[in-house]
Amino acid sequence: MARHVPLNNIEHKSLRIVTTRSAAYGDDQMFALTVPAEFRSVQSCYPIVFQKRSDTGQFQPLALFGFQPGENLFLTEAGWDATYVPISVERLPFLIGGPGVAQAGQPAQPMIHIDLDNPRVSSTEGEAVFLEYGGSSPFLERISSMLGSLHEGLAATTAFVDALQGLDLLESFVLDVGHKDGSSSRLAGFYTVNEERVRALDGAAVSKLQAQGFLEPMYMVVASTVHFRDLIERRNRRS
Amino acid sequence: MIVGGGSAGWLAAGVIAADHQIPRVPGLEVTLVESPAVSPIGVGEGTWPSMRDTLRRIGVSETDFIRECDAAFKQGSRFAGWTDGGGEHYYHPFSLPQGYGEANLVMPWLREHAAVPYAELVSFQPQLCERGRAPKQVTTPEYAAVANYAYHLDAGKFGPFLQRHCTARLGVRHIVDHVTRIESSDNGDIAAVVTAGHGRVEGDLYVDCTGFSSLLLGQHYGVPLISVQPQLFNDSALAVQVPYAAADAPIASHTISTACEAGWIWDIGLQTRRGVGHVYSSAHMSDTEAERILRDYVTAGTDAKTAAALSPRKLSFRPGYRQTLWQRNCVAVGLAAGFVEPLEASALALVEFSAAMISDQLPATRALMDTVAARFNDAFRYRWERAIDFLKLHYLLSRRSDSPYWREHRASAAVQSRLAELLELWRYQSPSRYDFHRIEEIFPSASYQYVLYGMGFRPEARALPEPVQNAALAQRYFDEAATLCRSMLAALPTNRALLNHLQSYRLQRV
Repeated sequence: MARHVPLNNIEHKSLRIVTTRSAAYGDDQMFALTVPAEFRSVQSCYPIVFQKRSDTGQFQPLALFGFQPGENLFLTEAGWDATYVPISVERLPFLIGGPGVAQAGQPAQPMIHIDLDNPRVSSTEGEAVFLEYGGSSPFLERISSMLGSLHEGLAATTAFVDALQGLDLLESFVLDVGHKDGSSSRLAGFYTVNEERVRALDGAAVSKLQAQGFLEPMYMVVASTVHFRDLIERRNRRS
Repeated sequence: MIVGGGSAGWLAAGVIAADHQIPRVPGLEVTLVESPAVSPIGVGEGTWPSMRDTLRRIGVSETDFIRECDAAFKQGSRFAGWTDGGGEHYYHPFSLPQGYGEANLVMPWLREHAAVPYAELVSFQPQLCERGRAPKQVTTPEYAAVANYAYHLDAGKFGPFLQRHCTARLGVRHIVDHVTRIESSDNGDIAAVVTAGHGRVEGDLYVDCTGFSSLLLGQHYGVPLISVQPQLFNDSALAVQVPYAAADAPIASHTISTACEAGWIWDIGLQTRRGVGHVYSSAHMSDTEAERILRDYVTAGTDAKTAAALSPRKLSFRPGYRQTLWQRNCVAVGLAAGFVEPLEASALALVEFSAAMISDQLPATRALMDTVAARFNDAFRYRWERAIDFLKLHYLLSRRSDSPYWREHRASAAVQSRLAELLELWRYQSPSRYDFHRIEEIFPSASYQYVLYGMGFRPEARALPEPVQNAALAQRYFDEAATLCRSMLAALPTNRALLNHLQSYRLQRV
């Protein structure tokens, strides 16, 4: 399925990336990974929820797009109907690969990899990855900076989630939604921040969160839940 | 004031300090005095599922506990050779039978499925054990279970682990010093313990956790030990630590208990090693012979070279419990209160029950203490008696006659009358809540069913009551157990895989 290779400007010289948003390019996802550094932008459009990875059991924050697998209520004929798309979606089909190869005197650097089997990879349409003489295109520069943020964000996520759990702020929730067409969906297996416990935090806990840089992202998660209403309306408009 | 710092002392300190929110809420102080020279005895590496509640109550993280105490998951026990001394075995799993208390499972089992072992028909858990599965997934929160479980732990690491938590997080004052003398008040209460370096240390209530020496209750107050050796002969043990054959060797998620000529062998899987020991009756077997049997067992499970390199550690004990557990302002917990052989791992469970009751019922005034003490003595005499009944059951049901040890166990003089009465009753009905009606029974009636029917005890066919709908209902529960078993086998990692995973990742709190 996936064919991950390190990106280089010789073999991949004339590679182009389709940036159109549609199901054909794999955008029909129910949710996407997000990181605390972009919570402020994410909460302007989507509910932020948490889920445990099935392989590690560790929590990861997600931007929620729909109520069931394959359902992205932001995806329309005209593209992605939101002012912000999470970087874990924007950066595709690129990813940070392996530790790279350590050079003499230098530690291994994370390297940009590309999934050559991703349908976005093209030689005829989309954004050029490299400039004519091999330099990185502005598009690739932007991708590179996103991958950097994502990479750092994953480390920050662990500390952020630990802090929330240390204060018993995460809790599981089940959301049953009855839709206008008579159908219903159940959202289960996700976790959110318990607002009552946030409001009950004492000064010491709040200032510690502030010092760690976690206060803002925590409130962004709380604020993001208003978008459940938007998600339900989008679903109802569809049916 | 807690005297003694093994697992018992630190569990008691932890439960009391956590329940009473020391040091956040003023009014109560918990001090633990322990001698620097006394090394903890280090038996009791098996636990009951109650340990999960106790650890959560104390406020420790399950991931930390598992990492720091070399702990592994335990889903019950597998008893080998207990019935006939051959290759037979049965399971006593921690999960209750499916539909327990809802349907009479015993009659439909005997009528329709008599060839299937009882535990394997009514519970999904024996198969999980057979296949070396963990009782939970990587996504299951701390202390939550897919299949009910307890732990195997390194008792030598457990005390220090609890100590760190109690002193750093729970405000327990820790004094490392020799107790040289006990000072009495005029009314006979203990006024203080006098230490070599810290002088007099005073308390209102003294918890004696000094192990076999029973410094306060046994030595100071002279409360005698009620010997249970007439019923439970075992008084000696030889213990060894056995390395795994390979780094990825399976870790059994149950205690393996193998009956021998004059005792039995425990085999407990920790993360980094197995704990194996032979517990036996010194009146029926010499230490030399006991050691040979232990070495033969270890050799069969590993190799001759590993077995030859082991040097067993000998333990001797007088099986019994103190006539009074709470005397004046002194209550004993753990070995200081009593000890019987580690069959069914009741030692730490009794410590947990004791610590919980002391904490829940902590007398607000000296005048109330006598009332609480009387209740405590009643509750724990009952618990000791029931624990001894349950252990004795394993010997009483055995058909082994290959040595005087087994034959003498069944001689009527060696059988407590209540147990004999129950067995007579159980010929015509199943063990139920009518037999064990206290709120917190140490061994529930389901445990008696697992052992009774696992060891081949069969009720009279005609007598058990069975309502019209029962057969269909029971069959539904048998099917439910089988379905659960299939889905759990598909979803649960191996015990080894989950324990390895926990070295790198934490279980979540929710």
